[in-house]
Parts: sequence; C-alpha cells; structure tokens
Amino acid sequence: MTIISTPVLILGGGVAGVSAALELARRGVPSVLAEKGPRLGGRVRDFCCKATQACVHCGACRLGDLLAEAAARPEAAFRSLALAAEAQREGGVWQVELRPQPDEGEADPLAQPLAEKTTVNAQAVILAVGYEPFDPRRKTRFGYGRVPGVMTALELEAMLGQGVLVGHDGQPPESVAFIQCVGSRDESLGNLYCSRVCCGFALDMAGLIKEGWPETAVTFFHMDVQGYGPSWEEALPHMRQAIDFVRAMPGEVSAGENGPRVCFAGPDGQPRSREFGLVALSQGLTPPASAGALSEMFGLNRNQDGFLGEDAALAVSGAQGVFVAGTAQGPRGIVESIDHAALAAGAAMESLFRAGKEAAHG
Amino acid sequence: MARVCLIWVERPGLEGLDPAEVAKRAGLSLDPGGAIPAAVVTAPEWAAPPAVRSRLAGKPAQWLDLAGEVGGGPAEKRLARAAAAVARAAGRAALGTLPQVYTAQPAQTVLVAGAGLAAVAAARQAGLLGHPVILATPFGRAAQAGADDEAEEVSLLAAQLPAQVEVLAEAELRHLSGAAGDFTAELQTPQGAQLKRFGAVVLAPAGGYAPPELGLDPELAKPVADLPPEGLAGSPDKWLQAAVIAGVDAPATADAFARAVEAALALQARDFVQTTLLFSEARVASEGGERRYREARQAGVIAARVAAGGLEVAQGGRLLKWRDLLLDEEVQLRPDLLAVAGPVAAALPAFLANPVLWPAWPQLVPEGPRFSGGRTARSGLYIIGALRGTAPGRARRVEAAAAAADLHDRLTQGRATPVPSVRNTACASCLTCVRVCAHGVPRYGSDAIVCAPAACVACGMCAAECPAEAIAPPGWSNPELIAGLEAGLAKSAGTKAVLFACGQSGAQAFAELCRQGHEWPEGLLLYPVPCAGRVGMQLIMKALSSGAAGIMVAGCHDGNCRSVSGNLRARLRAGETAALLERLGLGPERVEFLHLASNQPRRLAQAVDRFVSTLG
Ligand SMILES: Cc1cc2nc3c(=O)[nH]c(=O)nc-3n(C[C@H](O)[C@H](O)[C@H](O)COP(=O)(O)OP(=O)(O)OC[C@H]3O[C@@H](n4cnc5c(N)ncnc54)[C@H](O)[C@@H]3O)c2cc1C
Ligand code: SF4
Ligand code: SF4
Ligand code: SF4
Ligand code: SF4
Repeated sequence: MTIISTPVLILGGGVAGVSAALELARRGVPSVLAEKGPRLGGRVRDFCCKATQACVHCGACRLGDLLAEAAARPEAAFRSLALAAEAQREGGVWQVELRPQPDEGEADPLAQPLAEKTTVNAQAVILAVGYEPFDPRRKTRFGYGRVPGVMTALELEAMLGQGVLVGHDGQPPESVAFIQCVGSRDESLGNLYCSRVCCGFALDMAGLIKEGWPETAVTFFHMDVQGYGPSWEEALPHMRQAIDFVRAMPGEVSAGENGPRVCFAGPDGQPRSREFGLVALSQGLTPPASAGALSEMFGLNRNQDGFLGEDAALAVSGAQGVFVAGTAQGPRGIVESIDHAALAAGAAMESLFRAGKEAAHG
Repeated sequence: MARVCLIWVERPGLEGLDPAEVAKRAGLSLDPGGAIPAAVVTAPEWAAPPAVRSRLAGKPAQWLDLAGEVGGGPAEKRLARAAAAVARAAGRAALGTLPQVYTAQPAQTVLVAGAGLAAVAAARQAGLLGHPVILATPFGRAAQAGADDEAEEVSLLAAQLPAQVEVLAEAELRHLSGAAGDFTAELQTPQGAQLKRFGAVVLAPAGGYAPPELGLDPELAKPVADLPPEGLAGSPDKWLQAAVIAGVDAPATADAFARAVEAALALQARDFVQTTLLFSEARVASEGGERRYREARQAGVIAARVAAGGLEVAQGGRLLKWRDLLLDEEVQLRPDLLAVAGPVAAALPAFLANPVLWPAWPQLVPEGPRFSGGRTARSGLYIIGALRGTAPGRARRVEAAAAAADLHDRLTQGRATPVPSVRNTACASCLTCVRVCAHGVPRYGSDAIVCAPAACVACGMCAAECPAEAIAPPGWSNPELIAGLEAGLAKSAGTKAVLFACGQSGAQAFAELCRQGHEWPEGLLLYPVPCAGRVGMQLIMKALSSGAAGIMVAGCHDGNCRSVSGNLRARLRAGETAALLERLGLGPERVEFLHLASNQPRRLAQAVDRFVSTLG
C-alpha cells in the first residue's frame, strides 16, 4: 500500500485529462493523473487525420502536441492501469484509493503503471473520464451486428486510418451512407441532446472517402447539420455538391442483395429504399460508463442527460473540490475538451487558494 | 572542437543495442564518469535520471530520444541507425553552447482591453495567477455586460476581481505593438493618453447585436434579448402573430439558435400569441438546446424550416413568404411582432488595421486547432469572446481561463521560451526576419534587431530565411544544423537520405513508428526540426552536398502549422530546390515535401519507403 499526496488528482487520461494536467502545470500546480487503461490519449488515440487538400481542423493530432508538452512538464505525473475504487473526504482532503488494473502489455512511454493499491491524498479532484460511444445494438432497426456492411463511425474511422475502405462484401463499396444522430436527439431512448461532433466527423470522413475513392457515392441521412466552425460553414456548400444530403431519418436497415438496404421517407413522405455498399452509423456520445459510480463516490450531481456535474457555468460540482473536464461533463469535440479542462484547472486552483487562505486564518 | 561523450540511459526500445558499439561507430567515447566537456544522452531530458541532468547542467548536451529514432529490424541495421543518430547529435554538441545575447526581463503586467464576461473573467484569472492587471474598459465600470452576456454573471465576477486588477474606466486601446514580454500600448482615458509596457494583452471587446441584412424595418424587428415586451398579449378574437428568425439566409450558430428558441418559448407563453420560429437548420448543439427546441414545439411554437436564402421579406418584415419544405407549398405570415436572433459581433480594434504592424485577421487568428483557448499567432496576444465569435457563457470563461494560464506560463518562463540570438555585426537590416516571424518576435529597434523576451517558439523560420545567417533561436543556427548533418551522414550507410521532420507532425509520427518496431531504410537519417519552416534552401543543398541522395521534408498539413506558414514556406523552398536541381540535371525527384499529421505514421512510412526506393 503506497500513499501519495498531491494538490490535484485527475481521473482519466484522455485529451481532457492530459490537458487538465497541463493547464495546472501552466499555473504552477503539480498533479497526479490516474488513467484506468494502459495508455494516455483516450478515444482520440484511435482517430485518423481527416485532412484532404488541407487540414479540416478535426483536432485529432492535438493529442500529439499534448503528449509532447506533457513529457516536458515535471509538475504532472501520469499513472496508468489505475482505477479509483473508493473515495472519502476528510479535513478538506480527498483520500482516493486507486487499484491496479490487469496489464495489457501496451505500455505508455509517459505513464508509469500502478504497481499496487495506492491511496492518493488530494485537495482537489478533476474527473475527466470521458464518454461512452452509443452502442448501436440498442437501435436494432439500424441492423448493426446483424446486417453485413453496417458499421459504427468509430469502426469506419479505424478502417480509414489504415487507408482501407471495404463494404459488405469485402470490396471497396460503390456507395456509402452515413446515418446521423444514432443514439442522439432520440426521444425513444430519452437522449434529448445533440452530440455536437457527429455531423462534423461524418462529413470529414465523407471528404476523406471522396478523396481516396472518388468513384464512391456518399449519402448523408440527417435531421439538421450542426455547425463546426467558420471554415466548415464555408465548406458546406461544396460538400453539398459532392455528397447527397438527404434530410430524413431512415426507418430500417436490412440485408439487401447488394449490401445493406436503407428505408427512408422521401421529401414527398413516400417510403423509399436504397442499397449501399456500406452504412456507417454516426453514434453519439453518452455519459461515461463510470458516471454512476463516480457520482456516488464523490457525492456529485449528474445533469439531466446523465453527464457529470450539474453547475453548467463553473464546471464545479455540488461536492467540494471536485471538478469535471471534457466529455464527462457533456458532448464536445476534441479541441473543446482540451480547452474545457482550463476551466476545471482554474477552478481547482482557486479552491486550493481558498483552502490555503482558510488554513492561514486558523 | 570539444570532445563529446555518449551517456547511455537504458530505455524501452533500446534493447539489444550495445552502448560501447554504438559509441565506437559514432566516433565518441562512452561516458567515463566524472567531468565531461559535452555529451549526447540517449534519453530526452525529462526521462533521464536526475543525476545525469545535474551533471550536465550548463554543459553542451544533446538529449536524444534514441528509442524514437532507431526502430526495429535486424540488429546490424539498428546499430547503424543508432550510430548515425548519435553522430548527428554529437556533431551539434561539439560546437558547444552559444551564449544568449538578449536578456531583457519580460514585463509582467497584463492588459485586458474590453468588457463583458470574457474580459472580466480573463482579468480575474490573470490576477489570481499573481499578475498586475489593467482592465481597460470603454464603459464606466467593470461590471458592464456585453449584448449576449448574462448581466448577473458579469456583476458577480466583477465583484470578485482580485486586488491586483486595476480598472481603467472609459479607456480605449489606441495602439498596440510588440509581442509576449514586451508589448507597448497606448491607452486613451479621460485623463489623457498614456504609453505603457505590458507582458501580455487580452483583447475582449464586448459584443453587440449585428442584425442580419434581410431588409427588416428596425421599428418592427427587435433583437431577441429585448423580447417579449411587458404585458404583451393577444385576445381570443385577435391572436397576435409573432415570428422569430433564427438564421434563414445562412444557418444560425448554436447559441443564436438557442436564444431564438428561448424567445419563442417566452412569446408563446403569453396569452393568445402564436409564435413561428423560422430557420434553415435547427442548430441544437448548445447545452440543453435540443431539449428546449422540443419544449418549444410541444408548447405550440411552429417550427418553419426555410431553405437557406429562401425567405422573402416584404414591407420591412410585415409580410414574410417562404416555401414550406415539408408541405411543399408557399406560406405567408404577417407578423405583429418580429424577433431576430442576429449574430453578436464586436468591432475590430482600429489599430489592427495597420498593415505594417499587424498581419491580416486570418494570419493573426488562424482557425487551426492549435490556436484555441484565445491564442493568436502573435505570442502573448489573446483574442477572446465576441470578437473571436465565441459562444456566450461557459465557452467565454473557458477561453479566459485558458488564455490566462497560457500567458502566465509564457511570462514566468514555465515553458522554456527561447530568445533568438542576433549577430548584429552580420545583420544586413533587411527585416526579412521581422516579416517572416508569425509570432512577432523580432522587431527593428533604434539601430538593431531586438527580440521580445517571452515570445519565440523556436520555429527557426527566421534562421531559414535570413540572408546573412544573423539570427537563429538557440540550438538551431545553420552551423549547428550543418555540423549535425555532416556528422550524421558520414556515419550513415547505404543510399543516404535525410528526413527533416517537423516536431509537431513528422518527428512524432516517426517516433511512433519506431515504438511499433518499424524498420526504416538503411541509409535514412532522421533530422528532427522544431518546424518544417526551419528547412530552407541552404540546408537542403548542404545535405545534398554532404552526400545525401535525397531529402524529404515532413511538415504539417496546410492550415495546421503552429507558426502559420512554416509548412508552406518549407514546401515552397523544397519546390524551388527541386526546380534548381532539374535545371542542373541532377533530378528534381531528390527533394520532396510531405504534408503530415502526428497521427499519420503509416502515411509517413509509405512515403519514405517510396521516396527512398526511387533514389535507387
Ligand atoms: C465516432 C466518433 C468520432 C469522433 N470524431 C471527432 C472528431 O473528428 N473531432 C472532434 O473534435 N471530436 C470527435 N469526437 C469526440 C471526441 O472523441 C471527444 O471530444 C474526446 O475524445 C473527448 O476526450 P475526453 O478526454 O473527454 O474523453 P475520452 O477520450 O473518452 O477519454 C477518457 C479517458 O478516461 C479513462 N477513464 C474512463 N473512466 C475512468 C475511471 N473511472 N478512472 C480512470 N480513468 C478512466 C478512459 O480510459 C479514457 O482514457 C468523436 C467521437 C466519436 C464517438
Ligand atoms: S486537425 Fe485533424 S485534419 Fe487537421 S492535421 Fe490534425 S488530424 Fe489532420
Ligand atoms: S451533431 Fe449532428 S449527427 Fe450528431 S447528434 Fe447533433 S445533429 Fe445529430
Ligand atoms: S533577416 Fe537577418 S539580416 Fe535581415 S534583419 Fe533579420 S537578422 Fe538581420
Ligand atoms: S524562431 Fe520562429 S518564433 Fe522565434 S524569432 Fe524566429 S521565426 Fe520567430
């Protein structure tokens, strides 16, 4: 049993967590970051670059910058394979018990794996535990896991990252469809929020497909297109020329003769159907798997959508000295998550000041 | 030339390499212990044991991420690659350290010019970090909110301003020049004008509504914030028709859409009022946006989707016509009340229009992912809030917090900010460096180039372009780079090729491939550079004349350079060199530029393999 003391403990080593450590370091505050997995970077580690003629500002490569900066910051210590099991607050200090996780043999050059049960004493805690991608099996009608050629956006992303594009029959598809808002803006699931990033990443992936496989036709089934920055708005009209934008949410995806068959309502309200070589489901962001456990452990509120931390303005939660950064607090993009950590770090630093002042006054 | 020793720090990825053999091949001696004149260490500084670090303090040392340069493959090839990398680093270490020339201390005072949530939050954060802050507001008090700020939130923060924050009321920032650590600002106040030196500057002018150009009568069309008027209600015989416009010519931003939805809900809640919400896209990505949009429709607000640009406005807005996309028919509305969720914008400060002192907006505030958190290309200048187009509320506090931490870090040297050395005796006063530096570091003082003390990011672009070899960030002058090139190429085997790899993209991708055990072509010499922009024509020609058969430069994708144009400059220089080689009959294919991101190792591996194979 080891005991470490640090002003701030950060849970989660995705872009938000690493950025929180850096934001604290920039303020001169040391921290310990505990990541439950073997490596830092979270989901973004598996993302590909979506630049075509130029960078499309997806933000994925900022992870490289973050890790390079983290390496040069002695204030931040990184622990991998460390999961928080218990927490209690005593005399203004959080005592968090970290348990080592099974080693998957994929060490991170920056992070030191947790060797044994460790108690961390910290004045403030930042939760940066990320999100859970929506599991499309819950929307059985989209045929995921059942209809060959239906995959998640994350799977498509990984495939494109390898420079590969294959559809239902193992061949490069003649046509690709994206279905948006899978698991978001969905009353039947109770997910009454927009995931913010999926319009952007889907159309960026569509651009990548159009560049690498220009013969492939791309269809974009959507309700609305969300904004993704000024240059994105400028690029939208061009995308509309290269990509078929269909404003309709498909009713069903079934196995057709030449790949997955998508049924949807045409502009006249009449049912239509089309077959595609590949159908990608733009899964939304849902609250992190550990949201329930952590909200209990740290006496923390969850917002209406189930994400951590209720006070929208401050990233400060109900409990003392607990702050939330990144997608753990709500859907946001990579760069937004990186920046959002500044707010948590600033608030954590302020709470340290306050505690210091109180201690000084007896 | 100083004698260089190899200090071997064992790291994952170096397994199986014999330190003595690497040292021998590189022509160095292995660390004999005790005092040494200069060293190459096989680990980056942060990963080296403290004893090694303290032993080398003040000594010329090259910290090498050797594991990130060797890669996999047969032992013999790894040994050769390791020896070439160590020799390259030793070539630089042998030159010793160049003394710093300019040692002015960065100014610590922070200027926050503006008002509203962003300005007050930034002033507060910078003050909490210990900086003296001047909050120069055009208004009479600090608590004044911008058009889209929550007035209460701003007052609350303004009441909590730390003691270090001095509020300068009715002040205007007339002129600004300089960069981090050394800004000069002219502030106009009722008491007169004053010139002051600042370490960092945050521009955060308050936003005002910018009504869309739809030909609306301002008597009828009001900004959503001003609605609904007190006591507004219709009657059972005469329902009032209200219309809220939320981006019909072009889609609204998510926060403008959210404001429109709030206004529509408030109007609809009045007795006998029917509200129609007109928009081209439902921009529901704000927090709670989708929920409120649904509530509005459930409350009876009519959601009318208009094709972008498809709203016909007659009689100043008293008659609206559009084609309903769902019903596919023409619809008309005669609103009694019209609310517009116009975007909120702030006026560009006049001094930024000076093309001599300031670059155009897209170069000053690039949209790339590296310029978030209020950062601009000009080191130490932050532009936040409405002027930046940032959504109100939390996004502005986020920006303010990020900007404050970044400026604090810069001004307190938390991040080692290098200061370029200038050889005044060699300088031709051509001002190339002043033009080239995207971060605003060098400027022409009374009779010499002077560099702002906390602003340089060591991209090396000035060094690449200076015709007199008179300026370079520490460690990246031509002599140092050339010594490394010559020494490294001398120890490379097979077909020699040099890969200049940008630290933001190429070098990271290279290191990742090495960790995966990628086997590089035998004679490939990696030369990590801080930015592709460091690689000018001289370096490429030098590499060729030192025995390289080909040179590849791997830099960031167009639009993602940390120094705005280092990648484009490098691509231009590579192209020019290739054209020159063609004229000389030496084969233009020997020089190539590759656009890359740090997360594209596979792309790098393929490009290098193809490139080296064409060299034969
Ligand atoms: C299909 C898809 C594509 C996307 N594409 C883009 C895009 O192109 N551009 C963009 O801007 N955004 C995109 N996003 C969003 C992006 O993934 C997020 O913005 C980003 O990953 C958020 O980072 P984070 O650090 O908050 O969370 P995560 O990346 O989820 O990281 C959380 C980390 O915390 C760790 N963790 C979890 N629980 C615990 C615990 N209890 N204790 C310790 N550690 C824990 C996890 O292992 C993980 O490493 C996409 C999302 C999806 C679903
Ligand atoms: S931001 Fe995205 S698209 Fe741009 S270079 Fe980085 S990974 Fe590629
Ligand atoms: S970003 Fe687009 S796809 Fe994602 S939930 Fe919002 S509207 Fe749907
Ligand atoms: S580019 Fe070189 S020669 Fe020209 S002003 Fe700058 S330092 Fe002097
Ligand atoms: S190295 Fe780059 S940032 Fe530094 S002065 Fe030269 S051009 Fe400017």
